[in-house]
Amino acid sequence: MDATNVTDLTGVLARARRGDSEAFRLLVEQHSRRAFQLAYRITGNQQDAEDVVQESFIRAYRQLSRFEARAHFATWLHRIVANCSVDLIRSRRSRQDHASMDEITPLEQPHSELPDPERLTESARIERSVATAMAELTPLERAAFTLRHYEGRSIAEIGKTLGLGTSATKHSVFRAVRKLRTALEPLRGES
Amino acid sequence: MRHYTEDDLILYFYGEHRSRKDVEVHLDQCDRCAASYRNLAGTLRLVETPEAPERGDQYGLEVWQRIRHRLPEQEVSWWSVWFRADRLAVAGAFAVLLMAAFVAGRWWSTPDSTTAALTPAKPPAAASAGSGSGSDDVRERVLLTSVADHLDRSERILTDIMNAPAGQDISAEQNWAEDLISASRLYRQDASDAGEHSVAVVLDELERSLLEIVHSPSRATAANLEEIRRRIDAASLLFKVRVLGDELRQRERVNTPRPRTRAPQTS
Repeated sequence: MDATNVTDLTGVLARARRGDSEAFRLLVEQHSRRAFQLAYRITGNQQDAEDVVQESFIRAYRQLSRFEARAHFATWLHRIVANCSVDLIRSRRSRQDHASMDEITPLEQPHSELPDPERLTESARIERSVATAMAELTPLERAAFTLRHYEGRSIAEIGKTLGLGTSATKHSVFRAVRKLRTALEPLRGES
Repeated sequence: MRHYTEDDLILYFYGEHRSRKDVEVHLDQCDRCAASYRNLAGTLRLVETPEAPERGDQYGLEVWQRIRHRLPEQEVSWWSVWFRADRLAVAGAFAVLLMAAFVAGRWWSTPDSTTAALTPAKPPAAASAGSGSGSDDVRERVLLTSVADHLDRSERILTDIMNAPAGQDISAEQNWAEDLISASRLYRQDASDAGEHSVAVVLDELERSLLEIVHSPSRATAANLEEIRRRIDAASLLFKVRVLGDELRQRERVNTPRPRTRAPQTS
């Protein structure tokens, strides 16, 4: 992003904070795709990710006055999206107390990459196993692992994002890794 | 020879181990740890970043169309209320008037030393009441926000514990609860000092449950979990935490844009 854009963004943010919905629209347009990507990685489901994106922007709009102008809007929104995703998984689980295997949805594939029977390869099998193992994680473990493993965020950043202490964040990641290892160990044995 | 734990190796894999060099040297020398690390890294490399379904250039606009009619009222920050241009103008005019009154007083008033000596001095509290009330409001707002956030976090732990299956490792929740206990104590003390007794009572109950969670075995049995849940249920704690959290957020919203004129105390 060049200097002009940064200045523009500052102006847009200032207008949005004054309640200018047109300015907020620009922020929504600019950040929606990235928000969707993160929500999808944490929730593992397209429809849930769509819901998270909408809820996150509504939450962000309501809380814009809390946003510090010095901070990055993207980082702030990232935090909101991660927490909305955790809340959504949590509420979904409390509704479907004991989820059946059908309800554990592996990460959906983009349409262009839907595997036909010939392409149902080893990697697809691993992907499904990973998705099933991920669905067994608690919402916090899932979010912490996604942020660490997929998003490359540091433990400190994850703690800040999820409102956890350093030790709790580390333990969430450790537990997630242990569960994934247990679930994926047989695959390693075969390969 | 000191071997590294799985947790150490996980941190090392993610480049977050504090003694990265030491681990590296050890892995070169210790076959056992090197094998553990190879195994761990091999498994984690199987977990590839999932590719999110593509969203087109118009996606942002689609999101906007879906939410534009659902946008709520924005929360107003306390400073923005006072720094709006029209209010600044009024404040400026008031300051000019005050200055004029002061200068006029210097020129025209003839202070009578005997009268001045007989006038009782204002108590310090009353004298500073004007300036103190502003900072009290800010303090109250900060306290409301902090306690509401604290209740949100606590609610998450309680919900996790209520939904945890028997035998699950709850050490992450325990660590998190431990982090929250000291904050809970401080907020309870602040709430008591501020006369917010109902808030203090809920925080006290919350603290007891958090302590119970911290002191339970990490791999809680069905009986352990049942005991914790029974206390949470008996005190309707989850419900109280939710309601109080909502109430504090409401109060925070109501307090924030409040103008200077204060309602008379009714208590």
